[in-house]
Amino acid sequence: MGRRRRRRGDPADAARALPEAIAALSQTLPAGPGPETFRRAKFDRPEAAPALWRLLFRVLSPQPADSASAAPAPEAQARWVKSALRSQGYPRRALAQLPDDGSQGARELLLALAWLLARGPLPERLLAQNRVRLGDEMPVCQCEALASPGPPAARVEADSCVDIRHLQWLMGKLRFRWRNLMASQQEQCVLLSKIHSYTRGCHSDRSLGHLSVTETELLRDPEGGRQDTVLGACPPEASQPTFLPKIPGPGAGDLEPLARELLALQEELREATEARRAAWEAGVGGRGPEWSASRRALQEAVGQELAALQRAWEQGGGLGQPHGPGRLVRTEPGVPGGLGLRATEVIGALRSQEAHLEVVLRRLQGRCRQELAKLAGALPGLIWVPPPGP
Amino acid sequence: MLPAGSVRRLAAELWDALDSCAEQQRQLERSLRVSRRLLRAWEPAETPASEPTPGPGANEEAPSAACTPSPQDLKELELLTQALEKAVRVRKGISKAGEGDKAPILKPGSIATSPATRASARLSTSRGAGSHAAETKPPRGMRYTRVPAKDLPQRRLLSVGDGACMGKGATKPEPGLRDQQIVPSAASRAPEAFTLKDKGILLQLPEVFRKAASRNSCLWAQLSSTQTSDSVDAATTAKTQFLQKMQTTSGWPGSRLSVAEVEVEVGRLQKACSLLRLRMGEELTADPKDWMQEYRCLLTLEGLQAIVGQYLHRLQDLRTVVEQQLGPWPEGRLPRASSPCAGGADPIWSPQLLLYSSTQELKTLAALRLRVAMLHQQIHLEKVLMGELLPLVSKQEPLGPPWLALCRAVYSLLCEGGQRFLTILREEEPAN
Repeated sequence: MGRRRRRRGDPADAARALPEAIAALSQTLPAGPGPETFRRAKFDRPEAAPALWRLLFRVLSPQPADSASAAPAPEAQARWVKSALRSQGYPRRALAQLPDDGSQGARELLLALAWLLARGPLPERLLAQNRVRLGDEMPVCQCEALASPGPPAARVEADSCVDIRHLQWLMGKLRFRWRNLMASQQEQCVLLSKIHSYTRGCHSDRSLGHLSVTETELLRDPEGGRQDTVLGACPPEASQPTFLPKIPGPGAGDLEPLARELLALQEELREATEARRAAWEAGVGGRGPEWSASRRALQEAVGQELAALQRAWEQGGGLGQPHGPGRLVRTEPGVPGGLGLRATEVIGALRSQEAHLEVVLRRLQGRCRQELAKLAGALPGLIWVPPPGP
Repeated sequence: MLPAGSVRRLAAELWDALDSCAEQQRQLERSLRVSRRLLRAWEPAETPASEPTPGPGANEEAPSAACTPSPQDLKELELLTQALEKAVRVRKGISKAGEGDKAPILKPGSIATSPATRASARLSTSRGAGSHAAETKPPRGMRYTRVPAKDLPQRRLLSVGDGACMGKGATKPEPGLRDQQIVPSAASRAPEAFTLKDKGILLQLPEVFRKAASRNSCLWAQLSSTQTSDSVDAATTAKTQFLQKMQTTSGWPGSRLSVAEVEVEVGRLQKACSLLRLRMGEELTADPKDWMQEYRCLLTLEGLQAIVGQYLHRLQDLRTVVEQQLGPWPEGRLPRASSPCAGGADPIWSPQLLLYSSTQELKTLAALRLRVAMLHQQIHLEKVLMGELLPLVSKQEPLGPPWLALCRAVYSLLCEGGQRFLTILREEEPAN
């Protein structure tokens, strides 16, 4: 594959390349308007505006849209697009001032599209989003785990449920759903494992070795008219037509709990360090002459440790850590795998995460226990018998 | 008993959690259905609702949705079966001598009921070009070295059967199959449907698919290679200039940080907070044995304190950013959601491989993922519940039985994950 070398800075070349580029762009983008629309948008013609609002909506929503779900109303789309752009940091105020009915703003939207294209590999990202997933994928990171609840199911909430028992009931329901989820998933793992081992050696790609569920289904129903075959492997479609994808972003209220936690932490640290510093200063006279040398060494060592600690969260999910979905591939136990992440490594990482999270949860529960114990202590004449057990 | 607003808020949080679970359960069940179906015997055209099995055009009028064969079809089938039996016997007589090795191969050939008869990929010379032309389905990908020519009438037979009724059990084609199998091995009478367990390794992806897949990989590789060409630098500078211009013509001196980036930062700080606390706990419980260790401990704690101070400042900056961002724009608070996985440096190439070596390993991996997600959710709920319930319990003055009941419920929710309850007893005055 030879790379085409472009002569840099040749204006004639650029002039020729532009229409081609625009044509390619309108083909690549989902719901891409034609090149004529782009031209009209450049001159801010109102008839180009609705197409561009639709385009930006499709481009910005994280879920791949499908034809089954109807798009939300134009006003809702326009408002959502404005919010989404704002949350990504779109700098121009003019966008906010566009009317919500989607009748104007073609030029501004074109600018917004250009801004998105300049910031990141937008077409590639869209391609990757909409691609058919051939493999059986399992996310390696924790980013999307149980994050977005999807369209809110119909909730039967009578106004009379102002009782804490309602909350207890919901909690129990949640625990039940968790158990079901765990059981279903374990079953799915067994089935996947079977399918992988039964089809070993069938894949044309040697590094994969066996077929995935999608590929096996392709063989079973080559004419499959059902959604389950290839599309079923894709991320689920939004089943409700008016469901607008959520936009990431904290409100001012989300920073409060974090601030409280940090302040509490700072307070505890201050207490601890003051006490120890005082104790240290008191006993410093008895140190030997090698004191100053080791002192510096210790300072450096501690500095490095803390820097390493900081890297744990500053780079969290960055280059070092694996991210995104992984295609499950079954290998023989002894065989050294080529490229690929080993499940054992991921399991190890998950176990340490699990341990950490359990500590955090226990700590929170302990704090609650203390608070309630304080209240209980204020009431004489009552005996509080905590439940037995771990 | 509780303020309605509180309960509604908390119930909403719990419902969010319940909805996520439900969504994941739905996805899992869909995958389970698919997998179970694959592991069962592969009945041909199991769903009557699927498109008509494209026989060689002979039975286009046959309703695909029909599940019960008409008596006419049955009779036809019977006749054809008999004719086939006869042909097979004749053929067997002729070819008995030189086809010793064909017999076992015939067996797998016939076993795969309709899939085999509809398959044409990699089937060898015995299939005439005619049958290929008539074949409308894409190659099934069954790997067979030789298939006797007698399969031709077989196929037509089965296609009629297909059109007539391919309901569950595929009972109609069975006579044909069964009889055919009498020839090679008089012993077995049971028609073996294709199961993944037994015959899975015979599968092969169709040529069309393989070509498409390799072309796909080629194109993606081309795409990533163009990223490293010379023109990239020019493009990057142009982009940066454009972005800067956009920023300066923005109309107001907005801050550099977008709300999405703030969210990421907040997540990072939360993680930092819990790791810092963990480290602090370790240091506080450590028992220094000599002065060096003591000094080290002290330095560490002081270092941690400095970091926390930095982060508090950072948080303050973030707070001003958020407030600024909320200013000139139409909407107030945005709904909260987590951002989609960034995918690291190269999100676009095929997903990395995740290698596992046993079913148990896969199960453990999945279980741990779920457990970690569950713990995240539990911790989030715990914080939310604490925020609402603890102040309520401590504020309430009337300390009668309703308050005690509330305390008991709150204790169970907050301290035991809603699973266990404490008991409150009243001390009785000893009766004298």
